[in-house]
Amino acid sequence: MTALSPPVQDSSAPTPAPAPTPKPETPYVPNYRPTYMLSGHSRSISSVKFSPDGKMLASCAADKLIKLWDAENGDIIHTFQGHSEGISDVAWSSNGEFLASASDDKTVRLWSLETFAVVRVLQGHTNFVFCVNFNPSSTLLASGGFDETVRVWDVARGKTLKTLPAHSDPVTAVTFNHDGTLIASCAMDGLIRIWDTESGQCLKTLADDDNPICSHVKFTPNSRFILASTQDSTIRLWNTQTSKCVKTYTGHTNRTYCIFADFAPGRKHIVSGSEDMKVYFWDLQTREIVQVLDGHRDVVIAVASHPTRRLIASAAMEKDLTIRLWADEGADAL
Amino acid sequence: MNNTLANIFTSPYPTAIQTSLDSLATIARFDPSGRYIAAGRHDGLAVIWDLDTRGQVRWLEGHVKGITSIDWSQNSRYVLTSSKDWNVIIWDLASDTDPPRRRATIRFDVPVASASFHPKNSKIVLVLLSSGEAYIVDLRREYRGRYELCEVQDENEDEAQISRSRTAFSAARFDPSGKHVFLGTTLGNVLVFNSRTKFMVARHRISGAGIIRGLEFVASGRRMVTNSSDRVLRQFNLPVYPSPTTDGEYIEQELEPTHRFNDPISKVGWHAMSYSPDGEWLAGGAADDASHKIYIWDLAREGLLASTLDGGRELLTYVHWHPQKPVIASVTNLGNILIWHCPTEERWGAFAGGFEEVDENVEYEEREDEFDIEDEADMARRKMLEEEEDVDIEDAPVDVAPDTSEKSRLHGETDEEVLWAMEEPDDDVKGWKMKVLVEDEQD
Repeated sequence: MTALSPPVQDSSAPTPAPAPTPKPETPYVPNYRPTYMLSGHSRSISSVKFSPDGKMLASCAADKLIKLWDAENGDIIHTFQGHSEGISDVAWSSNGEFLASASDDKTVRLWSLETFAVVRVLQGHTNFVFCVNFNPSSTLLASGGFDETVRVWDVARGKTLKTLPAHSDPVTAVTFNHDGTLIASCAMDGLIRIWDTESGQCLKTLADDDNPICSHVKFTPNSRFILASTQDSTIRLWNTQTSKCVKTYTGHTNRTYCIFADFAPGRKHIVSGSEDMKVYFWDLQTREIVQVLDGHRDVVIAVASHPTRRLIASAAMEKDLTIRLWADEGADAL
Repeated sequence: MNNTLANIFTSPYPTAIQTSLDSLATIARFDPSGRYIAAGRHDGLAVIWDLDTRGQVRWLEGHVKGITSIDWSQNSRYVLTSSKDWNVIIWDLASDTDPPRRRATIRFDVPVASASFHPKNSKIVLVLLSSGEAYIVDLRREYRGRYELCEVQDENEDEAQISRSRTAFSAARFDPSGKHVFLGTTLGNVLVFNSRTKFMVARHRISGAGIIRGLEFVASGRRMVTNSSDRVLRQFNLPVYPSPTTDGEYIEQELEPTHRFNDPISKVGWHAMSYSPDGEWLAGGAADDASHKIYIWDLAREGLLASTLDGGRELLTYVHWHPQKPVIASVTNLGNILIWHCPTEERWGAFAGGFEEVDENVEYEEREDEFDIEDEADMARRKMLEEEEDVDIEDAPVDVAPDTSEKSRLHGETDEEVLWAMEEPDDDVKGWKMKVLVEDEQD
């Protein structure tokens, strides 16, 4: 904790930037400060995602709503209504034309950003849908849920292309790799599975000895590793080829909820929410905690990194209900 | 990407039908990325299939008679269709409408037999008419025009009078570098023209061939295979052509095939042929009148017949090899597109973490310290040390095949040809994305 910068205070008075760490290979230390606080959701927020162009932020919550915010000034742009139960996840298509949302009403809805209308209701899951993501060309959508399957959908026709018998417990995250040829899924059974998109065959299973509940997975930009959050308060980086864990990030608290983790802007750090109401940053290589953001008043369940600027969004549960934007404006541009 | 993980032995050529796309097609060609198939139909419609979803994503409505050929620009943004209705149309798939916007329509006064893009610039088009004439149509502002390609006749020949009659062409293709145009004639010659100057640089006589029906090149451009009316596919090693001189000199050379592929028993002809991406294999679509057959020859092993794919009763009309994978698309006379692939067996071991499937029983030897209880602090320290190594998570280098066509044919030639082709480049840039059009719900 030596390299820890002081927690961000509520006062807006500029505090001197912390001295850069002496390590020459890590000249940049994140120094995020709160910029905006977005209120609007009336029940627990479950996910936040920046649009591919970084201009907007989408959020979803247990109040059955998806809200669209201006990432520049925090203004609300639109509220999407339609789901009949709470929403667990939201995803942007790579061209920013569609939003997909996964709900406890057992459907995935596809929303148009042009008309703000629902363009598809994808029906097929037999239980709560918990996670959703597009492939890079936005032609496919993968969703997972409490029916323990992963479904791959044809976006244009709104039909299920494949149902993968993925797990033996609720599926908590599903994601495509950079070229869309692989799908990774993880579940409460503690397993991370990698699938071939075309054939739907399982190529590999990553598992630790203890099988803690796995709550989130994300491919690295080059698809060589998978970042996986597990409910033993640990985030691991797995090498997909050797099936070995190459990095372990600890220090935060994660025992109960499916908390998002992401590569922080610049891709030199890992960022994650935590059940101790904070947001943690680790150095990707040294695995040291480099910054902790204070401010939320409940479990920080969702974090998202801006695609081009040093900007982070975080969202917390029932007792807080805010989305906070944090910016590191002192740092050089990416 | 997935093949690095799958990492299992697969055949270099396809072995079984994966799927059949009901498309009313007469021809079908993969795009250079291998993600799409463009299908041309009898009724003049062309359809773009997305192979991720196996859905039809664009309908190119414009021709009123059968499509005779289809080509893709280098990054798949533009599609070229030629038709019996005398027109050639260039479609822009980046437009977000269906049918897509046309970038150009080129009209002729006879049916068009085939048309193809210059490999480096989709504003240069090679057109072969059913009347046997071949044109380079340049749509660039500076060079705008139609340039007819004509065979140079020997002035001092005795029968000069007779041979003045125009040569009829029956096949036309750019080579993969785009520097040369290869034209097959009805008299069994292959003529080579410089794309920029439009001068003939070589004439190859291919004895016994008859009418040249088709030409295909390996990606490097060093080898070519011809299809001709004598029902033989011939492969040739191509010479290096000198840069054109102003005095109109050309090479007169008879080419001797390295391989001849034919069916010695039933003597069937060939509708189409296609090289594998590495040029090591050749697929020939047989003009068999009883069944759908694709022959695959191993060029590394002296052209040995490696496999015959049997696609059932619907006869074959076209065949095209995927630009990267051991996947072939063949078209049946009822208009179905058959996608051939190498099926991979489900590995059940993949479902269990840390398991490895073995073919035979292996005697396991236990290491001396295998079940020793390690001190937890030691373990943690060891783990810490292991994790010290830096990881690289940045973007993977884009998977681009090295442009061998450039290097292999560069010697003896100037870059003038490439520079000429790159002038006024098209806006077919890497990384553009076709917009996903959500179909209206039909309930």
